[in-house]
Amino acid sequence: MLPNRSRLSVLVFLLPPLLLYGVAVLFPILQSLFLSFFSWNGISDMEFVGFANYVRMLTGDSVFWHSFINALGYLAICLVLQLGGALFVASLLTSLRRGAGIIKTLYLLPAVISTVAIAFLFVRIYSIDPVGLLNQVLSWIGLGGLERPWLSDVNTVLAAVSGPEGWRFTGLYMLIIYAALLAVPQELEEAARLDGANQWQMFTKIRFPYIRPVWITTTIMATTYGLRGFDIPYLMTNGGPGQSSELLTTYMYKTAFTSTDFGYASTISVFIVIECLVAVGLILLMLKRKADA
Amino acid sequence: MKKLLRTAAVAAAVTLALAACGSGGGNPAANVSPTGEIKPRQISWLLSRPADGAVINIMKKIADEYARTHPGFSLNLITTPDRPSYIQKYETLAAANKLPELFDTDATPFAQQLAKKGTMVDGEKLLKDLGVYDSYRTNALNYQRFDDGSLYMIPFQFELEYFWYNKALFQQAGISVPKSLDDIPAMCTALRKAGITPLALDGQDQWPLERYVSYQPFRDAGPDYVQKLKKGDAKFSDATGQKTVNWISQLGGAGCFQDGFSSQGYSDAQNLFTSGKAAMYNIGTWELPSLATDKLNPAVRNDVDYFTLPATPSSATATNEYVATSGIGMAVNSKTFDPLVSDFLKFALAKYPSEYAATGALSPTTNVQTTIPANATPLYKKAIDQAKDLGSKLAMPWDTQLDPTTNSRLQQELVLLAQGNIKPAEFTSTMDSTIAQNAPKFFK
Repeated sequence: MLPNRSRLSVLVFLLPPLLLYGVAVLFPILQSLFLSFFSWNGISDMEFVGFANYVRMLTGDSVFWHSFINALGYLAICLVLQLGGALFVASLLTSLRRGAGIIKTLYLLPAVISTVAIAFLFVRIYSIDPVGLLNQVLSWIGLGGLERPWLSDVNTVLAAVSGPEGWRFTGLYMLIIYAALLAVPQELEEAARLDGANQWQMFTKIRFPYIRPVWITTTIMATTYGLRGFDIPYLMTNGGPGQSSELLTTYMYKTAFTSTDFGYASTISVFIVIECLVAVGLILLMLKRKADA
Repeated sequence: MKKLLRTAAVAAAVTLALAACGSGGGNPAANVSPTGEIKPRQISWLLSRPADGAVINIMKKIADEYARTHPGFSLNLITTPDRPSYIQKYETLAAANKLPELFDTDATPFAQQLAKKGTMVDGEKLLKDLGVYDSYRTNALNYQRFDDGSLYMIPFQFELEYFWYNKALFQQAGISVPKSLDDIPAMCTALRKAGITPLALDGQDQWPLERYVSYQPFRDAGPDYVQKLKKGDAKFSDATGQKTVNWISQLGGAGCFQDGFSSQGYSDAQNLFTSGKAAMYNIGTWELPSLATDKLNPAVRNDVDYFTLPATPSSATATNEYVATSGIGMAVNSKTFDPLVSDFLKFALAKYPSEYAATGALSPTTNVQTTIPANATPLYKKAIDQAKDLGSKLAMPWDTQLDPTTNSRLQQELVLLAQGNIKPAEFTSTMDSTIAQNAPKFFK
């Protein structure tokens, strides 16, 4: 129990950020929820439509569902690249005696490059005419048959726009996981080694359980970033060709600022909020069950 | 949890922009000659034109000249050359009732709603009041008009769109200039056989491909077709609609556009043509400095020529009628229209045409002669003189005509159709249902 003076100090320090948080975060969410029950193009009178926008979104909008499926695909690719890649590289780094610093810096570099630069860089890498790096490499290694305009092919474009996003943040998550791996007590590892554990067992029975709290945090971070991915797909393909790389976020943005259908765009944004909450809830549940097992 | 809610806030960012939005309207647009004292101040023009282009440079010069006699006056030019970004900015400001004194817009359904709310000054009355209305080309003004014939935007340019082609590549493939639009798919097949890319296309910006879908209806049914289509009174499933849908599909099937065109941009397409790799390039006279001067690659300079949109004797429109635009227009905000804005516009619009024509461009007015640059090839003058023989029917770009949702969907579906990812029947049913769903909101 804090003395009265201390309680007041806590309130004085907590209130301003809480107020700021309420104005900058909670208010827009509530405003979105409010707008989602209206039809409004920005200059017309707002017309109350009840749940019509939700009915349209869930039952009558094929682009919405296409974007939702794409968003899940985009998320899956980003997670594999970011978390899988980060864990793999961090594990390798722990066994390196020299050069770890340089490798860390190189992997972290994409995280500090501007998004626009990354998008343009990859548009060139995927290009077929003039031939880009990827197609050139495929040709050099005798896989010329795989050459294609990666961003124009409806079968490859989603993976092609997910790649740069995954690549960009692998270094950041690698650093976090690497720091966690370094914190694993040497005595535990030595004891396991004396008990005859091999490298795989060391990883699955000692290291990974030890870094589980960090893993949960990074998974939540990567998932929420992935679900709200916007800039790279928007800059590289604008959701195209057709709706092949349209994500819920790009679709919401276009609905608001191109179609000027602010009511319906708010409905999509409410869905994104719920989707993020559900995703994080599922992650926590799954990892908690695993930890309890 | 905080992080999670922060994520949610990003998802709800759309409302941040809207939080400050009001739904107020402007003043009635009737009074085009405000009376009272001219009080110099800064006025702003929100525009979508190249930052170092002729329009901005000339208007800066004119504003400086005006400021000399009106101390305290300045013109703040806020440009966003990328058109989709500009439209988003302008529509958000319109929703927030925060548009500046002058702003650019095409004659879109959204702009028409703004005009109906009284946000813009009546352009026709204003130009007449300023005494310059009669000097404008009829086609330049018509391009800026809404469906009901009303005029709210002032043009600052006049451009004709041609099919530029490489004579040497045509000869190599054994083809000649098409007599009708239907000849183009076969030409593409011949060019592909000769290892030449038939048409250079900027697929990234979407409007260049959308031009193609407008050509067959313009020749088959005239300029009224798109007026009916956008309201749902005509359909892609009718005879004219099917003609254009099948033609786009044929163009794609014949490999008319470069591989991977949908992710290639404006300069990619231009480089493809100017480097001699592509045989044809559909673009307007704003590219004359790149296509008809000594800046053009010497290897192709003497081989470049152009033809206008092909037409047959049975076409609803004549050979001298094709895409002629006066570009994005400038609207005057009625809420901030006062003696200063009126006086500056009078000063600027009187001086602008001669300055603009001196840069080698076509003025939207007929009272000045375009200066042909010293480094121009003979093609430059030929392309400019073509404006004298222009017919009265214009092929309107569809992106300025359709409601924004239908327009976005059309641009997306066209890419799929041209790439062969969807069949004409699927395209037809998607687009007709999109128009039926969205048109009533804009064209009640």
